[in-house]
Amino acid sequence: MDGTPFENKVALITGSSRGIGKAVALAFARNGADVVVNHRKESGASLSHAREVCGEIETMGRRVFAVPADISIKASVGKLFEETVREFGRLDFLILNAAMAPFKPIERLLERDLRQLVETNYMGNIFCIQAALPLLENTEGKIVFISSLGSRFYNPSYPLGSMKAAMECVVRDCAESLGERGISVNGICAGIVKTDSFKVLRQYMEEIDAMPDELFVTPEEVADVALFLCSPASRAIRGQTVVADRGLSNRLYRPVPRK
Amino acid sequence: MGNAVIISEDKVIDAVKQAIAEALEIDKSTIGSDSSLIRDLGAESLDFLDINYRLEQTFGIKMARHTILEHVEEMFGEESAIDANGKLTKKAVDLLEMRFDGAEIGLAPGIDVEEAPSIITVRSMARGVMDVLASVPDKCPACGNPSWTAEDGAHIKCGSCGEQAVFTNGDDLMKAWLEKVQEEKKLF
Repeated sequence: MDGTPFENKVALITGSSRGIGKAVALAFARNGADVVVNHRKESGASLSHAREVCGEIETMGRRVFAVPADISIKASVGKLFEETVREFGRLDFLILNAAMAPFKPIERLLERDLRQLVETNYMGNIFCIQAALPLLENTEGKIVFISSLGSRFYNPSYPLGSMKAAMECVVRDCAESLGERGISVNGICAGIVKTDSFKVLRQYMEEIDAMPDELFVTPEEVADVALFLCSPASRAIRGQTVVADRGLSNRLYRPVPRK
Repeated sequence: MGNAVIISEDKVIDAVKQAIAEALEIDKSTIGSDSSLIRDLGAESLDFLDINYRLEQTFGIKMARHTILEHVEEMFGEESAIDANGKLTKKAVDLLEMRFDGAEIGLAPGIDVEEAPSIITVRSMARGVMDVLASVPDKCPACGNPSWTAEDGAHIKCGSCGEQAVFTNGDDLMKAWLEKVQEEKKLF
């Protein structure tokens, strides 16, 4: 990678108070970017976790601030980007990481569950893209969407997978329609990461406990791919969702080694 | 259903505290039996799943995957427990009071549903475990003897043939309880 592609630039990561989002926020800061941390709730653990992330970034000598905003609410997304402009005056990298979904089979989703699913994980991401456009146009900005293997493979009680699949199409379409405006759009299809949502997954997929450690992706590994997709080194990649799963999806017939 | 208590409430409460201490990475001695996981111990919704998972491993059981309010809405229709604005209905509050044996749960109709999990305490989680443990049949299905034991204080086995006990899962128990309450009180 040439020079320091992240210095004096600004990254906004949705849902970055913990998990993959937190790792991405820290990785951008470590590489010289100033960071906007976004979390959903104005109080409680969401706020305290966001403050911890901000504290870590400050000790790296980067500028950082946290904005509570539920991305499913368009007005909140508007404020998130207004505050970004007010604090930093620019945006270079938008990482769409925030996600929230019920864990039950699709046929059992209530209307409320369905709305939450679509409003947060599809509409919310699009609200963010729309609100970020005027900023990203000025900086030849990059958008990276964090997807998961649920977009391509069945996971029990994981309706979020269908939204991830929809967003991977949004990544492809926006890469073309926004490419003319100098904005790059790509995604990362992350394998199984031991974040908080893994705690949910293992309740529905008991086999996961037998999976060897080398098949788990770390949040830091996902963050490194995000850095790559935001660096000039990835300039030939357009509208793709890169699988980063340590080969898990290659092992169709042997996810678990024989005893 | 076997009613004999094979593992005492004290033991279960201790195991719940242990699971919470590990999941939240806090000192076990700071956890009281009536501590609210959210209000007093700083837990988040995902932490509940982690704590449940640890309890499942400890006792060889399956805890409920869904909240009682989720079951109510699935069984008795959307908006029976949570209204269109995400607030608890009066029926939901009445039901929760019943579920918590009339304990002062500090919830009123109109409270945001996201506030509801704050009523969960160490003791109420222990009760969830006790309910599942109590679902063991009177007699061992393998040998027919009524001689369950828990030598390690956690895993219930048949004292005669050594067969591991099989329990009803937490979700099915919750649904059965809801059906019984509905039959008696016709809340919904």
